[in-house]
Formats: sequence, C-alpha cells, structure tokens
Amino acid sequence: MLAIWLNGFLRRRLDLILGSAAGVALAVALLALLGAFLVTSGRSMTARSIAAVPVDWQIQLATGADAKFVIDALGQATAYRKIEPVGYADTAGFTARTGGTVQTTGPGKVLGVDRSYRTDFPEQIRSLIGAGEGVLLAQQTAANLHATVGDSIAIERAGLPPVEVKVDGIVDLPNADSLFQAVGLAPSVAPQAPPDNVVILPLTQWHALFDPLTSMRSAAIETQLHVGLTHDRLPSEPMAAYDSVSRAARNLEARLAGAGIVADNLAARLDAVRGDALYAGILFLFLGMPGALLAILVSHAVAVSGSGRRRWEQSLLRIRGASIAQILRLAALEAGTISITGVALGLCLATLAARLLWQDSLFTGAALPWTAAAALLGAMASMAAVLLPAWAQARSLTVAVASAAIAPGAPPLWRRFRVDLLLLLLSAALFWLMQRQGYQIVLAPEGVPAASVDYYAFASPILLWIALGLISARLLGIALGPGRRLLSWAFHPVAGPLSSLVTAALDRQRNRITRAFTVVLLAMSFATSTAVFDATFRAQARVDAELTNGADVTVTGSAALPAGPLLPQLEGLPGVAAAQPMQHRFAYVGSDLQDLYGIDPTSIGRATRMSGAYFQGGNATATMAALAEIPDGLLVSEETVRDYQLQPGDKINLRLLNVTDHQYRTVPFHFIGIVREFPTAPSDSFLVANAAYVAGQTGSSTAEMVLLRSRIEPARLAHEVEAVLGPASGLRVSDIDSALRLVNSSLTAIDAAGLSEIELGFAVLMLLVAAAIVFIPNLAERRRAFAIMAAVGARLPQIRAFIWSEGLLVFLGGSLAGLLSGLLLAGMLVKLLTGVFDPQPEGLTIPWLYLAVLAVAMFVATLAAAVATQITLRRPIVTALREE
Amino acid sequence: MTSPVVETIDAARIFHRGGRSFEALRAASCRVFLGERIAILGPSGSGKSTLLHLLGGLDRPTSGRVAWPELGTNLDLRPKLIAIVPQSPSLVPWLSTVENVELPALLGGEPRTARHQAMTSLENLGLANLAKRLPQELSGGQAQRVAIARALMGDCKLILADEPTGQIDGATAAALFDALLTHLASRDAALVVATHDPAVAARMGRSWRIDHGVLDTAAATGS
Repeated sequence: MLAIWLNGFLRRRLDLILGSAAGVALAVALLALLGAFLVTSGRSMTARSIAAVPVDWQIQLATGADAKFVIDALGQATAYRKIEPVGYADTAGFTARTGGTVQTTGPGKVLGVDRSYRTDFPEQIRSLIGAGEGVLLAQQTAANLHATVGDSIAIERAGLPPVEVKVDGIVDLPNADSLFQAVGLAPSVAPQAPPDNVVILPLTQWHALFDPLTSMRSAAIETQLHVGLTHDRLPSEPMAAYDSVSRAARNLEARLAGAGIVADNLAARLDAVRGDALYAGILFLFLGMPGALLAILVSHAVAVSGSGRRRWEQSLLRIRGASIAQILRLAALEAGTISITGVALGLCLATLAARLLWQDSLFTGAALPWTAAAALLGAMASMAAVLLPAWAQARSLTVAVASAAIAPGAPPLWRRFRVDLLLLLLSAALFWLMQRQGYQIVLAPEGVPAASVDYYAFASPILLWIALGLISARLLGIALGPGRRLLSWAFHPVAGPLSSLVTAALDRQRNRITRAFTVVLLAMSFATSTAVFDATFRAQARVDAELTNGADVTVTGSAALPAGPLLPQLEGLPGVAAAQPMQHRFAYVGSDLQDLYGIDPTSIGRATRMSGAYFQGGNATATMAALAEIPDGLLVSEETVRDYQLQPGDKINLRLLNVTDHQYRTVPFHFIGIVREFPTAPSDSFLVANAAYVAGQTGSSTAEMVLLRSRIEPARLAHEVEAVLGPASGLRVSDIDSALRLVNSSLTAIDAAGLSEIELGFAVLMLLVAAAIVFIPNLAERRRAFAIMAAVGARLPQIRAFIWSEGLLVFLGGSLAGLLSGLLLAGMLVKLLTGVFDPQPEGLTIPWLYLAVLAVAMFVATLAAAVATQITLRRPIVTALREE
Repeated sequence: MTSPVVETIDAARIFHRGGRSFEALRAASCRVFLGERIAILGPSGSGKSTLLHLLGGLDRPTSGRVAWPELGTNLDLRPKLIAIVPQSPSLVPWLSTVENVELPALLGGEPRTARHQAMTSLENLGLANLAKRLPQELSGGQAQRVAIARALMGDCKLILADEPTGQIDGATAAALFDALLTHLASRDAALVVATHDPAVAARMGRSWRIDHGVLDTAAATGS
C-alpha cells in the first residue's frame, strides 16, 4: 500500500512535492550557511585581530641578566619567529645649534637597534626623510630642535660628557605607545605617555655610548628583547588565543625567575578586541537568529500549506476504514519524501553558495555539525508540520468535519490569549530596561579578564519581531472580518463590482492567506531590518573613515616637514575640488599633552565634512561661526571640561611651542564649546582653535596637514598627489578608501557584512517561497471553484480579480507591513548594538537600492503566484469541473 | 418560424488523455426552442454532461458545430442568457449561499440589484434561512437547490442542469422540480436537464436518449 501511495503521489503530485521541498530546501540552506559562516568567521578571527600587532612580546631584561639565558627560556616556553635586542637609555635632553640659535629639549630616550630590526619589525619605524639607518631623529624631536638631516645634535648623558652625533634621517614612530611602555607596571597604573624626544642609534653605537653608564646609573639603561611569536597554533577565537598567549607569557616569566619581565602586547591586543569579538558574535545572534527562525517557520509554513488537501485525503481513507496508524504511516511517507527532497536540495544550494562566498566546504571540520544540524532542523520542522496535524485530526475530528472544504477551528490560542500584545509589552519593557542601563550589552572593562554579555538583550528584538508578525496577522483578520467593507472599497479598482465577493472569498480562506501574509511580512521585516542595520553600519564606517583620514585625501607632514607650503601646488591638481590647510600642533593642558588642530573655521568645511554630531549642540555651522567670531576661542573635549570644570567663556591657558625661541609658552584661550569628533583627531582628548591665532601666538603659520576634497576617485587622486610630491617627500598621502578598508576589516564589520550577504539574498528567495505558499495549497479545489465561476459566466478578467486581489493583499500588504516592522526593528537593533558603532549614528541609513530590489522581488512573487494560478485556469472548464 | 435557442449539427466531441482517445459524443444533432422542457436521459458515462457542456458553450465540439440562433455568439451567453447548474458540488466553497446565488448578477454587471434578486430567488425556493451558510454547512440537496436558485437569477433563456437531483431523495427531488417548473412557468426559458432518473424525465415535455455518445432525439413526449 505504501508503494502504491508513493507511486501515485510522485506521479500526480510531483508539483506539490517540489514546491513544498523548495521551502524546506531554503530553510536548510540558510541554516547551513549561517552555521558555516560562524565557523568561517571564527576561524580567522584571531588572525584578523592580531594582524596589526607590530611586536608580540617585549621582554625587559633585569640588570645583569644573561640575554642568552632569556632567549633559551623563551624557546622552551613558546615558539617564536623573530627576536631583536633593543637598548633603551634615558637622557637629560638633546641640544642642537641651528640657524644661530641653540635649542635644547627636555628629557628623552635614546634607542639602540640593529640593522635587522627594521626588517623584522617594519611597522615600528617609518622613514620620513633622509636615510633609513644610522642616527635617526623622531619627527617631534626634529621639530623641537629645528634639526634636519645633516645637522649635528648633542646627546646628554648623566655623569658623562654629551656626545655629538650627525643626523642621518628623520622618522616617525607609529607605535610609540607600545615601544616606550613601562614594562612591569601594575595594570591599575595609568599608561605612561611616550617620551617627546627620541633619538635612535645603531645598536653598536648605542652600546658604545651607554654601556659605561650601566654601572653608574643602571636604572637609566635597559635592554629589551622584541619578539615575534609563531601564530599558526593560536586558537581561532580571540579569547581562547588570549588565554594561550597569556599562559605562555606567565610560563616564560616563571622560567626567567626574575631575569626578565614580559610586556605582552599580543595578549593586550586580543584583550582589546574582546569587545569587538563579542560584538561580532552577538551580531551573529541578533542578525542571524531571526533568519534561522524564519527559515524554520517557512519550512513549517510550506509543509502546513498542504494541510487542507491532506485532511481531505485522510478523511477519505478513514471512510474506507484506514486506522490512525495507517494514516500516520502514509502521512510520514509524504512528509519523508518532502523532507528528504528538501534537505537534499537545500544542502546542494548551501554547498554552492559556500563555495561561491568563501571557497569553503560545508562537510568538513567544524562546519559539518552545523550542516547536519541544519538538515535535521529543516527535516524535523517539515515532518512535524505534516505528522502532528494528521495525528491530531485523526484523533479529534469526525470524518465529515475533516472532509469539509474549509478547515474547521476556533481562533488560534495566541489570538484568544492576546499573546501578540503580551509579547509587544514584554519587548518594550526589556528595551526600556536596556535603555536605562545605557545599552551596555557587552561589558569588557579594560584590564579585567572576564567579559560579560547581557543575553537578555536578545529577547527584546526577537519578541518584537514575533509580536509584529502576530499583530499583523490579527490586523489582517480584522481587515478581512469587521473591516471587510474598507477592504472591499480598496479592492474596487481591481475587482469592480466583485470586490465584496473577493473580500468574502479571502476571509473564508483566511488560514492560507494569513500564513502567506505572515511569511511575506516576516521575510520583508527581516530583510529590511538587516539591510537598514547594515547600511547604517556601513554609513558609520564611512563616517569613521572620514574622521580617521580627515578628508577624501589627506597629505600629512610634520612640524619639520609640513604639507602646508605645497597647498598651491595641490590646489592646482585637476582632481582637487577643494584644499584646506590644517595645523597639527601639541599643547599642554596642565601636564597633559594634547593634540591641537588649528583651522580656518570659515573655510574648513570646503575640504572636509563638518557634521553636527562632531560638536555638542549638534550644529556644526553655529560652532564654526562661534569659533570664527572669537579669535582665541577653543573647542575642547568633554573629558577636559570635566577635568577642569570649565564653563563656556572660561579662560584656559595652554602651553604651546614657540618657534622663535623653541620654548613652550603660555597662550591664553577662551573655552567656547565641546568637540566630540574631528577629522584626523584621536579618540581621546584634543583641542581645536583658530589657525590664525595659533600662528600669531607661536610665531609659525605653518600647516602640517592639507585636506583635499576630491572630484575623482580618492585613490586616484592620492596617486596623483604622490606623483606630484615624489617618493622622497617625507609626506604621507592617505585616501579615505584605504581608511574605509581598515575600518571594514574589524571583526564586527566583517561579521555584519558576511551575515548581510547571506541573509539579504535569502530574504528575496523567501518572498518567492511565499508565492508558492499562496499558489500551491488546495490547487485542485481552487481550480474547480474558478471553473464553477466560469461556468456561471465569469470572464477571465473577473476571475483574475480574485487572483490579483489575493496577490496584492498578501504581497503588497505583507510587504508594506514588513517594511514598517523592519524599520522599527532596525531602530531597536541600532540602539541595542550601539557599542558596535563608532561614532554613534545620527539616524538610520535607508538602503533605497536594496529596498527597491525587495520591491521588485515582491512584485515578481506576486506576478509568479498570479501567473501560475492563471496558467492552471487554461485547463478546459469541463476538465476542471470533473475534478474533485 | 422561430429560431432555436440552441442547436447542434453533427457535433462530436473526442477527448484525448494519456495517448488514448475517447469519443464522448458522436455526431449529435438537436434543437432546443424557447419554452421547451427537455430531459437527456442516459446511464452514467453516456455523454449527457458532454452534450450539456456543448449546449452551454462550456466546451467546443471536435467536429460539427453548435449555434445559438436566438441568443447570439458564444461570447455573450453566460451569465445573462444561459444558466448552468453543474454536477454537484456546484457551489463556490468560499462564498456563502446568498453570495453564490448573487454571483451571476454581479458578473453580469448588476451590482445594485444583485443581493435583492438573490434573496428573492432563495425565498422562491424556500431557502432564505440558509442565506449566510457556507456550502460545507449545507446538505447535498440544499446545495443543489441553491445552485438552482442561482440558475433562476435574472432572465436566462436557456437553463441547463446536470444531474440536479443526483444527491436528493425522491420526495425532495419532486418538490424541487415542482418549484423549478412553477418558477419557469411564467417564463419562456428553455430547460434542459441531464439525468439518469426516469421520474425526472417523465416530468419534462421531451426526452432525448443518449447511450455511448449516440444521441436519439426521437423520444416520447412526457406527461
């Protein structure tokens, strides 16, 4: 009997099997891809997060320690790729005699490095001008001394005569913070600022100059070993990698027994990205889980869509004496056929997608369990959708009721108990609680090993999503019931005098219509919220890149080698739409050295975006106008305002370097406002002032930087600028796209982009699945009903009115409701995941192009369902009338 | 001389299915005039429904022709000129009783009077109390009476009923026919009923016999 049933099923209902299997396939494919994505992103997370660590470990040798012993102990503790000795010597200062004046700096550091250091750790020292080896001057030191390549400077040595050296090159130290970190301090101690004055000598020369001091002032002389570890065996997950590296460092220190202390930069970096890694994982939950739920729901909905036909067939079987067990066996056969077909199709689809997206396999390694789980979940959802109703109906419904054309039943439980409203209230309450605690989902305090994630935060958007789906189903029920007149009026342009019958027909097929409507709504809502979140994230990444780079193209120099003098040359380039100079100085606020940016507030906006979000008050135009009006006006950060209890109008004294005597002199300013962000400014405290006033007070109108707004692609303009400047200019040219690539390389950005790629594509497919849900169920019955109408006298356009009205209600209505829901959800997600945004978004960014694609998909789905139905109407009326 | 409402001239209908052909109707020629009451009598599978479908314009003959000299072309026949009661089930399952009955008026562009006409038609057949029920909530006999009420809407000139008493007991069928014939008495519409029930055929003015697709229109006049 099973064979006969299956044979008949495959021969006569193949379209139903394939249609239902398509829904299951979509669900399985999405679940499998989400799992594979989790594995893929996790695998490379550690590598991505430590890519920018220049020196993994800095081992500070104790006085008199044997370097060979330390290196041997290092080899026993862990595997390493490279190791370089670096000498550190304190100096009372440097002196230079240039242009008839003598410049003297404050205390500084003299480093000694081998020639191979720059090969092993290329990110540590960046040449600006002159030679790449020999006596190298840090750019700030060169500015302080007014020295350049070829000048002689004197290095003070406590207890010994100063020594003169000739400057071979001027360099930048991009990682000065870690290079000069105080090794061995307790975590609670505030980080030390790097020295303002640095000279780098060849290691042999350094030893010659400072070894004699070892016995006299051992505290002033240190040796470090800079180590690059082997990363191949690190765990893929940053926290696990952090544990591994930290343990190795502690193991080494135990072996050294006081002969050395390890500054673990690698672990610090892994610790720092803890929050990023956690947010990346959380993004997977926030953006991925609704997709997974939707996939299971679609699988279930597609399987349930055939319930009317199955109920009728099973009633026939019961009339002929089939037992419940026999009915369930036949139902299981159908369910199994659909599940197996669906799972196979889904795995094929997912395999193809995985190869295209990540050149990876779903059936190897850590991805295999996820693939198996996806197959199992999809199969179980569709099997349950067929078997559970069959079992329940066989046990509880009479044959007569079961064989009715329209399914019986009271309103669903959720409607009776107002579950939709309860979920909405619960979601709102949870969101309000999150708002009260400042949307802190990830708590990863600096220096504290443990990180906590507030998983309850997930509940709010998930509950809202479900609630919106149920509320929309309730509203649809109201529209079809008490609101039928209004709906009838709305359908009048399509159905004419038949509009009342059309709405009556839709009401009587409420289950099928509601199912399809809800799938469309949830798919649209899910796609919209993901797309809006992704667009907002990308927009903020763009803002972040704008702030990091300063403008489309930025030419960065230094006090010794400013970019400002090249302004006329740069302005003349055809690709330059606007160019603005900007000073970048350093000023002491109390004992705190902060970056100071000098601008022309009336014209800075020509070359770079001045967003209201950068300033307190939110009005960039007003802030710039205020700065222009007050020559000694100063914009400071919130932290500075707090530290010094500033009020608007308060006088604030800064100490700025004066070029006439190369001394730091007090310059008065007046605090006029708070600046939160500024192009090229660091994330900590900084200052913005009028360039003219700073020039007048410091004796130098030099602009260290030039900001360029580009008419062409920024990368192209950057190349043109580099060509104009030449390779030995010592100036750095950067473009916004490079900065954007860097921003987009964060773990969170990669996860957001990857998830969006998967889910946005599936959302479009799910709209087509909804079309199948509309079209497939009770096909023969609907065909006969339309044939009766044709026999009574309905013309094809009149029958089309029923079909198109159904399509419009499901797809247009569902899409609009889904769009609104998606926007609401996106707003909630952006608030809850506020930690991933830097800077905070001013509002949502709407991806109009993607929404247009969704609208087209919606239209195609409507068209597909309507056309497919109409194609079946081409069957002769008499043939359809003979069908039962 | 009046024209027939509908006539067939050597109309034949062959169905093709799965590579095989089946001749459901063979060269049938017949005429129906206004006011006639005709029963097409024959066993199941004899071709009654096929002939009815051709007469109603639901199907086209494979050979021969069908014409409606009194009514016009095939395009204008339904719902205003010809009403068809298909074999059961013959109601649209998503529409209530009154909605099923008012369907022809709405399709024919008479929305203002559709509901009133439908209720009148239901009342004439004693079915007004079933107006809001769905087809699944009706018995087989009630459903067929509703289908007939639908056919009696408007001023059709030709009413074709396919086994209208197929699911009804004898007494109810008789009552149904009484109501039908009474309603049609004041109208000049022709009524053609396909049936295998001799009792129904006996109440019609003429009977045609059909067997294995062969139509014999020379039959005794009914009582």
